[in-house]
Amino acid sequence: MRYLILLLLNLPIILLSILDIVTSYKMKKINRGIFLGRITLWVIILAVIIGAIPIYNLITDHKIFDSNELSLFDIVEITVIIALIFYTNSLRVQIDKNELRLQNLHEELSITISDRDNK
Amino acid sequence: MKKVCVIIPAYNEGQVVGSVIKDAKKLFSKEKDYQIDIVLINDGSKDNTSSESRKNGAIVIDHILNSGAGGATLTGIRYAVKHNYDMAATMDADGQHTAEDVLNGIKFSDKTSTDLTIGSRLMNPEGMSRTKIIGNKGLSFITFLLFGQNVTDSQSGLRIYSKNALEDLRWKMTGYEFCSEMIWRARQKKLSIKEYPIKAIYTDYSRGKGQNNWNAVNIIKQLIKLRILEIFN
Repeated sequence: MRYLILLLLNLPIILLSILDIVTSYKMKKINRGIFLGRITLWVIILAVIIGAIPIYNLITDHKIFDSNELSLFDIVEITVIIALIFYTNSLRVQIDKNELRLQNLHEELSITISDRDNK
Repeated sequence: MKKVCVIIPAYNEGQVVGSVIKDAKKLFSKEKDYQIDIVLINDGSKDNTSSESRKNGAIVIDHILNSGAGGATLTGIRYAVKHNYDMAATMDADGQHTAEDVLNGIKFSDKTSTDLTIGSRLMNPEGMSRTKIIGNKGLSFITFLLFGQNVTDSQSGLRIYSKNALEDLRWKMTGYEFCSEMIWRARQKKLSIKEYPIKAIYTDYSRGKGQNNWNAVNIIKQLIKLRILEIFN
């Protein structure tokens, strides 16, 4: 069951990445070589996520979506992931603030220089 | 007499911007109730956009860095606030908007005391291709879904701003997605929003520029990201 959840959580991210790459190629932001390389990479990741678990379970004679009990390691892992999400979001907020300051600075500078030139 | 700033964000429009400014100045100079200045924001153009605009009488602000349509519009609005304009308008540099429509918008906005007035091509879509109509309706629907504001033409570049709107409106997006974000920010600031019909003009030049339809995917992606991330702010 855990593997099914893993698949459902990662599928949207992978599909969004593929859409992003296709859009970049159609908008001529990347060339054909880079496009094929990136698409291949994400298709491989998708294939590994979808295909690895049933194949592993078949090889080891488990049921297709069998899963072990949640271990202490899993609990620590999930906690660390959530802490990282919190930290990443704080960094993002700081980056947003800096971007806004930079944008304001650029506007003021452009106007000040142009006002001086237009006199 | 009210002071109005007509802001024209431009990137590599040297071929047509001169005639756009000339026609607009000719019409605006006849107005008795408004003193209308044209301010062109040159967003890092690599051609003669800046010199052509100056030659035809526009006040030109040259961006040091290319910032996108949203960034250029913000600079224009900052200029309007700094120089105490009573109202402002934005129009496209490539001839897609007529000076008459801009002037009608200014009068409509002034008469109805509307904070943000949007010129809607979809209230009178004659001249628009089916792809553009569907695309614009789609983006307007997404704007409504994400931000709760119903407008017929969320991507229109012809907009009129009251003094309140000039002072209160700011946005984060600098690409074309700023059109939808602006509507959202206006709603958040409880500014009044109205639309009026304008003509959609597509010349061989503007069609030849080739707006890539895939850009709509980028716009939608950025808007969804913006909406979700605001929850964490």
